[in-house]
Amino acid sequence: MSHDKFLTTEIRRRTLLASMAAVGASATLGTGKAFAQEPEKPAEIIVRAWGGSWVDSLKAGVSDSFTKATGIAVRHDLTEDNEIQPKVWAAVAQGRVPPIHINWDTTTNATKSALRGVTEDLSDLPNLKNTTELAKPVGLDGYPIVNTYGYVYVLAYRPSAFPNGAPKSWKDLLDPKLKGRIALYNDGIGFHFPAQVAGGGKLEDIPANMQPAWDFIAKIKEQQPLLGEDPDFTTWFQKGEIDAACTISTNAREAKKNGIELAWVVPEEGAKFDTDGLWIPKGLPENELYWAKQYINHALTKEAQQVWLDGLGLPGVVPGLTPPADLVGDPSYPTTEEDFKHLIRISSKVQVENESQWFAKFKEIMQG
Amino acid sequence: MRKSRAAYPLTWRVMDMLEAIAARLWPARFARALPYLMLAPAVLLVGILVLGLVQIGDSSLRVLDTSTFLMSEDYTLANYQRALTESFFATVAGRSLLGSVIVTVITLILAFPYAYLMVRTPSSALRNVLLVALFLPFFIGQVVRAYGWLIILGNQGMVNEALGLVGVPPMRLLYNYPAVLFGLIQYMLPFAVLMLAPALTAIPAELEAAASSLGANWLGTFRHVVLPLARPGLVGAGLVVVTLSLTDFAIPAILGGGSQDFIANAIYDQFFRTSDQGMGATLSLLLVAVGSLLVGLVFMLFGAGTLAMTGERK
Repeated sequence: MSHDKFLTTEIRRRTLLASMAAVGASATLGTGKAFAQEPEKPAEIIVRAWGGSWVDSLKAGVSDSFTKATGIAVRHDLTEDNEIQPKVWAAVAQGRVPPIHINWDTTTNATKSALRGVTEDLSDLPNLKNTTELAKPVGLDGYPIVNTYGYVYVLAYRPSAFPNGAPKSWKDLLDPKLKGRIALYNDGIGFHFPAQVAGGGKLEDIPANMQPAWDFIAKIKEQQPLLGEDPDFTTWFQKGEIDAACTISTNAREAKKNGIELAWVVPEEGAKFDTDGLWIPKGLPENELYWAKQYINHALTKEAQQVWLDGLGLPGVVPGLTPPADLVGDPSYPTTEEDFKHLIRISSKVQVENESQWFAKFKEIMQG
Repeated sequence: MRKSRAAYPLTWRVMDMLEAIAARLWPARFARALPYLMLAPAVLLVGILVLGLVQIGDSSLRVLDTSTFLMSEDYTLANYQRALTESFFATVAGRSLLGSVIVTVITLILAFPYAYLMVRTPSSALRNVLLVALFLPFFIGQVVRAYGWLIILGNQGMVNEALGLVGVPPMRLLYNYPAVLFGLIQYMLPFAVLMLAPALTAIPAELEAAASSLGANWLGTFRHVVLPLARPGLVGAGLVVVTLSLTDFAIPAILGGGSQDFIANAIYDQFFRTSDQGMGATLSLLLVAVGSLLVGLVFMLFGAGTLAMTGERK
């Protein structure tokens, strides 16, 4: 057993050294230049992704141009992020080749994998030097994950349900006329921190004292909210089931593009700001690891970020990106320091360490 | 002299050859072992399941370390303590148990006349219609059926549109406990009818005619003749429906609007949302235990019904 472990460690070290040398030799993709030390190209790279407009944007911005530059096909695996995680963990634990090359993941989820030690180090990606501070995962050593953009959990609403103007506060969700007409994520994600403020608490008290958040969530429970996931919000707005929701701005924007009457705000208490990222599971063959790194390196180029994030309507990690025309000045697309003052960002490590308890508490309130 | 082919056809020769091979592979003295050999696949399958349960049992005794997201090396009963003391798990377990009992009772009440009519009707056309209506849902998966209800019962669905025609404003028909129970009953009905039909077929129609000729009215015949003789079918159908309802995932997830979780949903959350395999394993084992106890209780009170192994009718 220990012998196997020793061998694995040796291989990993060799793999890492080779990858570092190769990645260092090619700072960018798309030059069409073939390097002598480039390892053999795999037939395809498998990237786990979210479906709908999410994967469409990734394909348009990153995957297609990667394939054009390298000739390597990119297959998008739409397995849910929560469901791919145990598969990857099991593969690494059993010394098998993982089922994907790259995981497009929430930073919180990815942090769990990093803490478990199943992620490759990405510190040697040349394009990291061109990125903003947002690309670096908070509370972790090195780059087991590379954050690729940020997003905001906005208060999306149906304007016709708010005839007196846009909601200003998360407390507006307590309006009796909205009973049974609001929605949250089914694990409460995105809502805990603004609820802490709306409940009269302080962000500095997270995670030690979140009672104000639970008190506010208990009041929201009286409003009989629907609890779902990204696709549910679009469906519920479309089918007239809800008038307001705490959801990622991308979903709200996509629903609006599809003709649903929708607008969104960052309420006065603030809104949660978080990041998603890309990471590579351990256990890939040497050449595949190299090309997986090249994919992520490519995702950090300005050209790829511009197209990818235009589709998502989210701010990237490379300076100088142009916001989509419909999001200029929009609080869900923060670009200035002033914009970020209204957003709540808590380190992934704190979130990961407390997520299980917060989840249980949220469920206890909502299922009660 | 050349042998006649007709005297000993080729097919016989082939059969002889196969028999010889079979006799060589499985000599007559092994004949008593044949039933055990036939049992082997089942034993293998159950063995794999038991192995899985052992692994789940092992996981249930380990807690998640959120600083490394690995399971603890040491064994502890902490997960069981959490499962038995935290109100969330009690709420979900209570909802699942109560739901499965309500679904079973209503499903049996609805399935019985359906199965009775299907078995007793002299019209083959009606029997065929009932059979088609029964089997059609089997070709449509549970998830698709649940989404179908979203379309029918939604705020802008067919039912609310019909109500709107008579001046009734749209009402919330989905995303609550009754919606989940409704979806489960609709899903379970064919299972119950299929379990009941053989038991009702086995009741001779002459017995009902005899009861009638002795002065029993329809209700008396049903109560004193049909119902007691249909008990094995009712027990079998009840067991299938109660266990499937208790462990269902999709219907509560889709029709419950996220606030009507059953135990299976809580297990999913532990495995896939919080990455806590230990807690997920604990809840899984407790679900197996509760389900087994429930089935054992029914066995004790009513026998095994059509699921009985002896073939004896009770």
